[in-house]
Amino acid sequence: MLIELSGVSKTYNQGRANEVRALSGIDLGVEQGSMVCLKGPSGSGKSTLLAIIGCIFPPTSGRAAIAGRQLARLPDRFLTLHRRETIGFIFQRFNILPELTVLENITLPLLPLGVAPKERRQRAQELLERFGISHRAQFPAGQISGGELQRVAIARALINNQPIILADEPTAHLDTNLSREFMEIMQQLKEAGKTVVIASHDPLVFAHPAIDRTVTIQDGRIHVP
Amino acid sequence: MARYNLEKQLNILEYALSSLWRRRMKSLSVLLVFGAVIFLLASFQMVTQALSDKARQVLAHTPEITLQKMSAGRQEGIPLAYRDKLAGIFGIRRVVPRIWGYYFDEVRLANYTVMGMAVDEMPEGARLDTALARGTMPGPAEQGRAVIGSSITNALDLAGRDTFSLFRPDLSLKSFVVIGEFSRDTDILTNDLIVMNLADARDLFGIPGGLVSDLCVYVANPTEIETIAKKISDALPSVRVLTRPQIQKTYQAVFGWRSGFGSICLLSALAAFVILAWDKASGLSPEERREIAILKVLGWETRDILAVRFWESVIVSGLACIIGMTAAYVHVVYGAASLFRPVLMGWSVLKPDLHLLPRLAGGDILLILAFTVIPYLAATVIPAWRSATVPADSALGG
Repeated sequence: MLIELSGVSKTYNQGRANEVRALSGIDLGVEQGSMVCLKGPSGSGKSTLLAIIGCIFPPTSGRAAIAGRQLARLPDRFLTLHRRETIGFIFQRFNILPELTVLENITLPLLPLGVAPKERRQRAQELLERFGISHRAQFPAGQISGGELQRVAIARALINNQPIILADEPTAHLDTNLSREFMEIMQQLKEAGKTVVIASHDPLVFAHPAIDRTVTIQDGRIHVP
Repeated sequence: MARYNLEKQLNILEYALSSLWRRRMKSLSVLLVFGAVIFLLASFQMVTQALSDKARQVLAHTPEITLQKMSAGRQEGIPLAYRDKLAGIFGIRRVVPRIWGYYFDEVRLANYTVMGMAVDEMPEGARLDTALARGTMPGPAEQGRAVIGSSITNALDLAGRDTFSLFRPDLSLKSFVVIGEFSRDTDILTNDLIVMNLADARDLFGIPGGLVSDLCVYVANPTEIETIAKKISDALPSVRVLTRPQIQKTYQAVFGWRSGFGSICLLSALAAFVILAWDKASGLSPEERREIAILKVLGWETRDILAVRFWESVIVSGLACIIGMTAAYVHVVYGAASLFRPVLMGWSVLKPDLHLLPRLAGGDILLILAFTVIPYLAATVIPAWRSATVPADSALGG
């Protein structure tokens, strides 16, 4: 298993008056090269689960092993280093910095890795060509279309060749055509051996044929129908 | 590893530059205000140093010892006969009398310094001509002749003529012919000066015969100044003995005091700017929070984000320093330090039109950097710690 969660819980503001239990007793395993959808309404805990899988923070309790590393034992700095090597993120609304060019946005994850400018450009150019947006490389990201923006976000998630791709509500602000196009790209990534986890309550996502498994989250627990 | 770290820092520097460019209006306004503060501080520092240097240079030609008669704590005329009492002190080369005073011009509301000198008696009297832009110093036989400082020409409206008159105490007029003008290089001491011979000064001020304002003592060996001054003090207890090093120290102290006062005012402005910078760096706009959260999710560490803030501050403060110091140099050299002249040049109505050459020692640059760049770096990087600790998960979930 590339992703292995066992009895994972997450409580925000633990011990304080505003304590919130976001996840409770989550058991989840995701095999390498598979595509899983985390489904559930807003506030169900999907994003928190995605953040734990994405090594943004460790669980409050339980075991979470991502690409062979136990998160609970990793200090914050090593979580970041593990995240760099392992996880590619695609955000809701894509979270592209609109003032930066397309090329600059895609190469952002490479800057703290000490990758030289020439190599950065070369890697980004390959992805831009793969997604058919190489002509937009020097455009400010704020001036490109929604479809192009989506491909820029995917290219950014792949720039460091991470084995796991996480997408948080990626189609929430896309029309049907762009949502379909997004899922086609995800399918290609899966076929290329990437492990894909998507948090979404969009039927176009969780009902997509490429999805191997849909996990329903409700009130911080995995819902078994 | 070293290569990796270098590449990483270069990448972060590149991102800091692009970040400054993206917020160029904000960056530019900070740069201009910071540059202005550094300009004021550096100007003040440069002009003070330049004035001190100039004073030291000009005072090098003053008498080694000056004697003044004191009575009830005030200066009064010193008898010429005191010269005889000094005759027995070994090491004195020559004692030369001098009459000087201030003449208030009620029409122009300006004070002139009038000095009666016995140039022919001074050991290096002939060298005084080198301080003149034109003409010669008045000799003992040249009655009604004067040499004037550069501002006197304008103050007395002498364009096209070379005579002027001053009032005696009994309000009768005494006329003078201008036979020379001091060089502008000596403005710091001669700007408001009118030099005449001893007899004319005595006549103008109505000083009785046998008295002068002070006696200038020239010594044979300059290293013996203090010893000779002590001997004179012992021989003439009622006389104030001023040595050249003492006068030089007084000038330095005066410039130092004025510089200190001005610096305190300017440092207050700097403190206000630093507080403002701290306040701005502490607050975080939603866009900045979002940007930091995105970078952290993408694998940036807190220290990488702090490094971006550090480089941004280094770039802004470095540029502000270059701009501020260059502007200060231009202001002092080509603008004759016009902003600070009223503060630094004393009480005279006739302000000297100085041509200053700033001496910018390494220590002065370090001092300016210490008082400007370091507080700014602290004011921007320390609060940036709080902003850099924005939780990465705030970029998730919309």
